[in-house]
Amino acid sequence: MESNLRDLVQYYLPTFPLRRVRRLVDDTTDFTSITYGDVIHLGGRHYMVLRDEAERRFGIEDFKFWVKRCKCLETGESAILKLVFHEEFTQQIGSMSIRSFRSQNKEARILNLVRGDMRFMQGTAERDEAGNLVRILDVIRGKRFDTVIDNLPGDHRHYYENDLYRMMELLIAGCEAIDFLHRHYEQHGDVRRDHLWMETGTGKVRWIDFDYAYETRANPFALDLFGLGNSLLFTVGKQIYTPQTFAHMESGRNVRDTDFSPVIKNRLVNLRRLFPYIPRELNNVLMHFSQGAEIHYDSVEELLGDLRPCLELLPKQTERRAS
Amino acid sequence: MNFKKILLAVDSSDNAMRAVEYTGHIVSGNPGFEVQLLCIERLPHRDLYADDDKWEMGCEEMRACLKDFLARARQRLRELGVDDAAVSEVYVSSCHSPFTDSTSECSLGTSVALEILDTLKTGGFGTVVVGRRGLSKAEEFLFGSVSNKIVHSAKDCTIWVVS
Repeated sequence: MESNLRDLVQYYLPTFPLRRVRRLVDDTTDFTSITYGDVIHLGGRHYMVLRDEAERRFGIEDFKFWVKRCKCLETGESAILKLVFHEEFTQQIGSMSIRSFRSQNKEARILNLVRGDMRFMQGTAERDEAGNLVRILDVIRGKRFDTVIDNLPGDHRHYYENDLYRMMELLIAGCEAIDFLHRHYEQHGDVRRDHLWMETGTGKVRWIDFDYAYETRANPFALDLFGLGNSLLFTVGKQIYTPQTFAHMESGRNVRDTDFSPVIKNRLVNLRRLFPYIPRELNNVLMHFSQGAEIHYDSVEELLGDLRPCLELLPKQTERRAS
Repeated sequence: MNFKKILLAVDSSDNAMRAVEYTGHIVSGNPGFEVQLLCIERLPHRDLYADDDKWEMGCEEMRACLKDFLARARQRLRELGVDDAAVSEVYVSSCHSPFTDSTSECSLGTSVALEILDTLKTGGFGTVVVGRRGLSKAEEFLFGSVSNKIVHSAKDCTIWVVS
């Protein structure tokens, strides 16, 4: 078997060092033991494991030992294999608990739902010999959407006049994609700005990672909406503002308690306090996510209904050049 | 606006039963009132179950619980003296329910409040009654509040919010 495996690797991946070829894996249950040089056998294909994937959060590489960066021997394509990792925890917010968990079935179902819809990551799901539902994902070449915004040059005024229109167009497309999921009674489950990627080449945004699920019976999509609100706040502000980040700004003196998020208490939502050129209509959308709001969005459709008209109130780069 | 035509939106909670009690006390003995009990189905989370068969059983239990509540609500209104002929029930199944008939009207489930408001408008109701859970600001923000949404969005009608 070992020599057969080496022959297979040598045939399809001649540049791979043969001495590093480890073993053929048919059962991925013990995902922590699967590492560089292992070959995972799934759905009649072989995937050479190259490394564990990692997310960079708060400046730290957070390794996801159940997510393997691989190369498919038969096709030569890069692929990400998400192995089954049972994780369940309770988020405590105020007096309410939100049961959250990973669900490979949910992610597989959504992959099926969004097949061919490039607003989402693409992939398939296959069971290994032990019955684990492994997701085989295409690699998205690009950057996190928030990193793209963060890397844009200049101060907020410059960003507002040159780039916000384009970034808002992309974010609206992202919101529409989440609305599509909700209309099919599916949650994304982990709407964070680092789960929205901008693809190199197409310049379009795509959502990744649908395996989280949460249980909020009153509004099953509430946390997705909360995540979109945070993404919107970052997109409009070019960053997140807290009392520390606007302490040096004169306009920061006007900020009131009701201008902050009711959930993340030091997160400024009323950005017009700092940047009075932000259109009132757009700021009103943000204010739905503030402590002072009397009413909140119930659905992405509602959010989009208010957000889409704001686009035309923003300066377009071409107009600025013309003037 | 016919304020005597009442839409009483319920789930299976204690708050909803308080709304039923209140409505019964106000309406009983007064002629000309009509009460429509409205229940919009919310399914249990599919991914909480090991497989689709178990989820279907969960949906079945949920449906039985809600329909039982509707029956109890109707019974309670009767006990409070509301003429049974003046009470009707509407149960809106989820469009995503494994038992939904594709030809029937169903709930998309994206917003219970907006679906209640839609029924309010199309049904020509003059009064809407809902229970209130008593959430904090942060909880309302994160989980949504049907009563809050209705208070702020309903037009041309009377709103009773029962805490």
